[in-house]
Amino acid sequence: MIRRPEIGAFIVMMIIIVALAIASDMKAFNALGLKNNIKIIAQYGIIAIGASLLMIAGEFDLSIGSMIGFAGMSMALMLKWGLPFGLGEATPFMAFAITLAMTLTLGWFIGTVVVRSGLSSFIVTLAFLFFLRGTTEVGFRLINGSTQVSGLPDYKENSWFANILGGEVFGWFYDAWNAIGRWITQDWVFEARLTIEQINALALLNINRRLEQWVTGFDARFMWFIIIALVAYFILSRTQIGNWIYATGDNKESARANGVPVNRVKIGLFMFTAFCATMFAACQVFDTNTSDAAKGNLMELFAIAIAVVGGTLMTGGFGSVLGVVFGAITVGLVANAVFFIPSIDGAWFRVFLGTILLAAVFANERIRKRITGGI
Amino acid sequence: MAEPYLRVEKLVKKFGPFTALNGVDLEIHAGEVHALLGDNGAGKSTLIKTLAGVHEPSGGQIYVEGKPVNFRSPRDATAAGIGTVYQDLAINQLMSVTRNFFMGREMKGAFGTLKMDEMDKIAHEEMLKIGIDFSDPTQAVGTMSGGQRQTLAIARAIYFGAKVLILDEPTSALGQKQQMEVLKTIKRVRARGDIAIIFITHNEIHSKLVGDRYTFLALGQVIGAGTKEELEGQDIRRLMAGGADIAQLEKEFAEM
Repeated sequence: MIRRPEIGAFIVMMIIIVALAIASDMKAFNALGLKNNIKIIAQYGIIAIGASLLMIAGEFDLSIGSMIGFAGMSMALMLKWGLPFGLGEATPFMAFAITLAMTLTLGWFIGTVVVRSGLSSFIVTLAFLFFLRGTTEVGFRLINGSTQVSGLPDYKENSWFANILGGEVFGWFYDAWNAIGRWITQDWVFEARLTIEQINALALLNINRRLEQWVTGFDARFMWFIIIALVAYFILSRTQIGNWIYATGDNKESARANGVPVNRVKIGLFMFTAFCATMFAACQVFDTNTSDAAKGNLMELFAIAIAVVGGTLMTGGFGSVLGVVFGAITVGLVANAVFFIPSIDGAWFRVFLGTILLAAVFANERIRKRITGGI
Repeated sequence: MAEPYLRVEKLVKKFGPFTALNGVDLEIHAGEVHALLGDNGAGKSTLIKTLAGVHEPSGGQIYVEGKPVNFRSPRDATAAGIGTVYQDLAINQLMSVTRNFFMGREMKGAFGTLKMDEMDKIAHEEMLKIGIDFSDPTQAVGTMSGGQRQTLAIARAIYFGAKVLILDEPTSALGQKQQMEVLKTIKRVRARGDIAIIFITHNEIHSKLVGDRYTFLALGQVIGAGTKEELEGQDIRRLMAGGADIAQLEKEFAEM
């Protein structure tokens, strides 16, 4: 139990998966259901991993949601109105690179303010929550005239870079799914009009009503979620920097006394959450070719909630990437459940989230007490 | 007598108008336990912090192996072979024994990866050398007893090159049984012969059990010093209890 803090998150996740499969009559896990669920899980996962690494180092970032809005604005405005200072039209790569440079600088600045001032990161990043959201809205109005950009060209078509952010990935998975479906259904006999049972059965085999392949791939953010999760897992559990992150969050002073560069670790992780927020925004912009000033609203709180549900300690020093992945799956599935079970009120999602969050905090506290000898 | 590893001559430390150390002399020899005793406010903490490089002395001189040294930071002191094990031990409870042992000085392979197996092995061996067979170094420190944590901190300081080990009241805040564990650890480190120990304590019995040489501090000055043979048990007790202060108190009581 102590060794595997993610066991609680894993059990909750399994319960949700089974319950959702039954309640939605498997619709949540048919070809399109899986894609849509993975989409929101990946969105949550990307920012929750950033938030959880920072929490393990003992700090919070409440500016994640506003950073998403800011990054989305920055990319969309450059794509629509060209590069700043009249430097010509922006390619997707340039828009992304310049935005990332800005958000990383902001992350560095937030981190520097936190470690230099010694103020609680809660209040410093709350300030940036307002500051960045306001900047985003003002920026939109000044440059664009309205708080949203829509009707951008579909960059995915021509730009490989836009495609790896907003396009589809793992097409082979759905191709294989479809091939298996065809093999299973080769002897089936269909009337001109399919029955609803047949449609549902075909949906589970990635075949649409016209008996063609239904879904062709996952959203690219699924790949980024996997990459970020693997890298974060590797860094946290296998590298020197991982040891420094744990040491910083557990007891800053003893870490410092042993030569751990505590401040650099924290600033680096504030930059990492800014990076995660930027990836979130980039996937969104290049997927939908739109952006608006409200994007990412409340996402910082979801990120923190998921990190906690995944077993990350509020007080720092403890947590696991695997647990956060389980947390993201759980919360993502429940957030989406209303689409598969139309009879339930969508607001139950927040009731559920509040409940498991509270349960997770108590469970995490128990684990902490057991490790620290019940103090 | 051989040259002491660490020698302190007429050390003075002032904080503004307040004189914390007023000309302290100290000799620390390898393979010996030097018990540093004194009441609260006697200057013990200031003395060890000066030796550990936290404070710069206002006067006097520190010599390591006969050479005068100036510590500007704890890093300088560590580099000169002075390892301090503070009361809070600089240990992180939620982390494993190995991760604590190598905290900030991890063994790295390619891409900054941790050589975890090698580090586990070293942590286990180094703790075994001074008496604790900790079979599972991946266990969280929070599950260890206070005595075992002391051993971890001591083993770590030795492994990373400490020739002088400063133990800041290692037996206070521990239960009886764990105090004995720590004293055994001190004896084992002494038995290696190449490491000098400065043992700070309030406890007369503990100091008599492991001490080879004693220095008593009061109000920033040395009020008594010598080897175990030179100081009679009675003398230690008198100095420990505050010596002159007690005599004064007895007199006051008599007049009441």
